[in-house]
Amino acid sequence: MKRIMLRCIIVGYGFLGKRLAKLIASGAVRGVKLVGIASSKGYIYKEDGFLPSDLPDDLRSSSMLRPAPASELIDKRIADLLVELTPTNIRDGEPGLSHIKLALEQGMDVVTANKGPIALAYEELMGLAEERGAMLLHEATVGGGIPLISLKNRCLAADELLSIKGILNGTTNYILSRMHFEEMTLDLALREAQMLGIAERDPTLDLEGVDTALKLVILANSLMNMGKRLSDVKIKGITGITSEAIAAAKESGMTIKLIGIADEDGLRVAPKLVRLNDPICVHGTLNAVSFNFRILGRLTIIGEGAGESTVSALINDIHEVMKTRMRSNRI
Amino acid sequence: MRVKLTLALSDRPGILLKALEQIALNGGNIISIIHRRDSITSGYVPVSINVEFPDSASLERAKRGIEASGIPVIEAETLEKAICTILLIGAVKIEDLLRKVHELGSRVAEVSMTGGLTSPCIKAVIEAPSEKLGTLLASLESFAEEQGALLITEW
Repeated sequence: MKRIMLRCIIVGYGFLGKRLAKLIASGAVRGVKLVGIASSKGYIYKEDGFLPSDLPDDLRSSSMLRPAPASELIDKRIADLLVELTPTNIRDGEPGLSHIKLALEQGMDVVTANKGPIALAYEELMGLAEERGAMLLHEATVGGGIPLISLKNRCLAADELLSIKGILNGTTNYILSRMHFEEMTLDLALREAQMLGIAERDPTLDLEGVDTALKLVILANSLMNMGKRLSDVKIKGITGITSEAIAAAKESGMTIKLIGIADEDGLRVAPKLVRLNDPICVHGTLNAVSFNFRILGRLTIIGEGAGESTVSALINDIHEVMKTRMRSNRI
Repeated sequence: MRVKLTLALSDRPGILLKALEQIALNGGNIISIIHRRDSITSGYVPVSINVEFPDSASLERAKRGIEASGIPVIEAETLEKAICTILLIGAVKIEDLLRKVHELGSRVAEVSMTGGLTSPCIKAVIEAPSEKLGTLLASLESFAEEQGALLITEW
């Protein structure tokens, strides 16, 4: 039997990039070899595939480093698949957007965890992928390792999705949970989250609901074909939530959660009162999403929405690329 | 949905039957009829009919049919109430909230305030006719914005 190998490059060498590179180089993702890595410092490549011992902690310490942009690595046409993991930029999606376009234009498949390009240019990118006969998979952009996109598109493709409601941001959920259980103020809970590395030094995008809105746009477009933009989302964050409000909710058997909603009335993000016994009422950094399908009815799925679990989404998307290429004899 | 229809029937034999036919034609199930012949005003008899309709569209069709038969529909009041808890974070006067909810055809069943002057928060349980709840919450959203407060509703 013909031995097949999917050649992959990773652009973005942060937490996710390093974890994924290690897994692929150690052979944990069968049938895939890693032939290039790029970061903002430059890129390294090895056409016969990296071994774990080849992987530097920082690309700057590698003797193979070429101090050139990632686009040069993509342009070398040494890979079948680009894994795009540069940081999310909600202003213009760059540099991820250009990386993805360049790869798709060459007929490379793309897997990404970068929310910016998918939220800002979903239709354009999907159109380009279709035109070039390439795949663009982005399960890792929403809900970490929770299979939201593949659940609908692969397991429930024939049923109609009527609405999506969910807790899509682990940072705000952690803060609201600490306010609920420990009666902390929002400021104190935020400082604790920053100390634990759960919240970023500048938590504005999380607290103001923008991160939830980005993920909601991605889900609405990829699962409900709503053709929405970030500017279509009515957004209210959690900065105005007080300890008194949480205590008042608690007295009535409820709490406050930051919820993203996509339904026939459009897209919105707002703090909402949620009953403590509702399946969506998860705490800590957990995410939860409730789908309402025409035939199936309500389906709620819960899991870690960030960190290590996101690597699971990436390797499952890579596996899907492998399967599809094998079926169509593209390897 | 359960509805109380109040009709003004002219005091002629067979006129009630015409109204009932329109209700039945549109899937309405009659629960009770109160026919107050002792309250004839200007030749009209007020009649209250409690009806279970499959949905609001069938109610509207029945109302149009009754009116087309020459019978005025005085009122169609939904008897099913939706109950919703809200929080208002900010300096809002309870009496202003009560007035606003009342103006919107609903009522506040319970209300409490915490946080004193420094961090005020009103919790209210609102009872509204089911079909009016969406409009009520949208109006309360604008009311909260005008007051510089944050409205939190059930999801």
